Amino acid sequence: MGAAIIETDRLTKRYGTARGIDDLSLAVAPGEVFGFLGPNGAGKTTTIRTLLDLLHPTSGSACLFGLDSRRDSRAIHARLGNLPGEFSYDDRLTGRDALRFFAALRGVPDLRRAEALADRFQADLSRRMGELSRGNRQKVGLVQALFHEPELVILDEPTAGLDPLMQEEFLAVVAEERERGATVFLSSHDLDEVQRACDRVAIIRDGRLIAVEDVASMRERAHRDVAVRFGRAVDPHELAAVPGVVDVRADGDRVRFHVAGELDPVVKALARHDVRDLEVTRPTLEELFLTYYRDGGAR
Amino acid sequence: MSATTTRAPRTPAAPPVGAPAPPPTRRSLLALLRRGLRDQARAPLTWGAGLGALGALMAAIWPSIEGSMEELMRSYPESLKQAFGIQRLDSVERYVDAEMLSLIVPFAAAFFVVRCVTRATVGAEDRGHLDTLLSLPVSRRVVVGAAYGVAGAALATVLAVFWGMTWVAGTIAGTGISATTLGAGALNVWPLAMAFGGLAALLAGVLHRPAAVTGLASGAVVAMYVIDLLGKLSDPLRPIRAVSAFRYYGSAIQDGFDVSHAVALTLVGVALTVVGALLFERRDVL
Repeated sequence: MGAAIIETDRLTKRYGTARGIDDLSLAVAPGEVFGFLGPNGAGKTTTIRTLLDLLHPTSGSACLFGLDSRRDSRAIHARLGNLPGEFSYDDRLTGRDALRFFAALRGVPDLRRAEALADRFQADLSRRMGELSRGNRQKVGLVQALFHEPELVILDEPTAGLDPLMQEEFLAVVAEERERGATVFLSSHDLDEVQRACDRVAIIRDGRLIAVEDVASMRERAHRDVAVRFGRAVDPHELAAVPGVVDVRADGDRVRFHVAGELDPVVKALARHDVRDLEVTRPTLEELFLTYYRDGGAR
Repeated sequence: MSATTTRAPRTPAAPPVGAPAPPPTRRSLLALLRRGLRDQARAPLTWGAGLGALGALMAAIWPSIEGSMEELMRSYPESLKQAFGIQRLDSVERYVDAEMLSLIVPFAAAFFVVRCVTRATVGAEDRGHLDTLLSLPVSRRVVVGAAYGVAGAALATVLAVFWGMTWVAGTIAGTGISATTLGAGALNVWPLAMAFGGLAALLAGVLHRPAAVTGLASGAVVAMYVIDLLGKLSDPLRPIRAVSAFRYYGSAIQDGFDVSHAVALTLVGVALTVVGALLFERRDVL
């Protein structure tokens, strides 16, 4: 791993007696797409706002590009693009006027890349911000976070309000940012989105970092729930003997179990029987957290 | 995998060749001033024309009431005349001063400036706009400074519109209104209002709610006016006028434009803004 683009050292933010984030230490390498995963209220936005010097840490420190997040905030902000969780700007401005203003403050001479990104996201830059739906405002927000080709892109719940097609476009843009060499810090509560976009994932809950994992390892740990209806009752012990299968519960011709790891042996074991219905679901975020706690992943 | 085992070496990342440096502060300030002035483009029409229409009405009716003014003045109690700074009402400028520049225009100007500064700082924070603005290479000090600058420039246009409309109406009505005397009266409002703008900037440095900043700053305008009034009405209370900005406002039309008081009020406004900007930089943006 090269010199970190983002590095926090026991970063703590409290609001009076209320918890924000607690002793958060992590490092994001250059060129990495780093997911920051947690349920609503876990501390994701507080972490990002502390990195951006909007909030001042109660204790600990944060460095971006090796620069202190407080002392060198302007130099840091010149090199990053940020999409806040609830992007909004002056309702009276059109998207284009807002982008012109941001470009002036960044010293970016033209809006060609902004226009190209707006085309990709189908963002209407001619309408006033106040007339845009949340999703369309979010598209303008994505454009303003990316148009100046920053070295670091910080995105807080970037796909909130976007339709599925635009979510796909967003993932394609993130992949292009990675190819360009940019580092992406992506906060989300959507496990699927993070798994598809990111190289590594940090999981935060109640303001504390639970784990930092490669997405590949995470996939292995993330069990799937499988529900099968057979043509006739099947011996559950046979399924329990399949590698990766746990928690087998049989009820007549219906069997439910969890699969941790590869699905291939499970499919082959099921194929020996008359399968009438099959449902495979990924765990919810809460279930994933329980997995971490159960497996001793919590710090 | 534990989070602590994934930490990268604590080595600063060398800025790549061509990494963008933050733009000069002057450029950020100019961009914010331009944006702010566009936001306030309607102020001369709304605030300026509103006050100007009232001023024009006062100037236009002067010829019809001029004759009865001496008698009217005799009927006023001396304390009332003293309280409102009315010494004589023997000219259109003095009439406009008594009707507009003793209360309505300074109050409106102060509220306008407080509103401008609040909207661009705590108001932007409340609406979530600062999260976007302050993740650009812009310092908070510049944001506060630009808010104060925009308020000052916008107020100047509002007062210019008031002055222009009043002078035109007075001239058309044949009152012989003096552009210079009326101009001094209008100009005198600017430092007073900007002092309260500085107070709003100071409050924005510690408070997070726009209603609280507007309420406290506006309350200070009213409180200082009342303090000045009480000081004028009661000799024992006269010393308390020293703490009121209205004491240093006086009346430029009746007593002439007091440069030292105008400079002092302006410096107070600037000093409060500087302190407000430093506090704004040190506090969290919620």
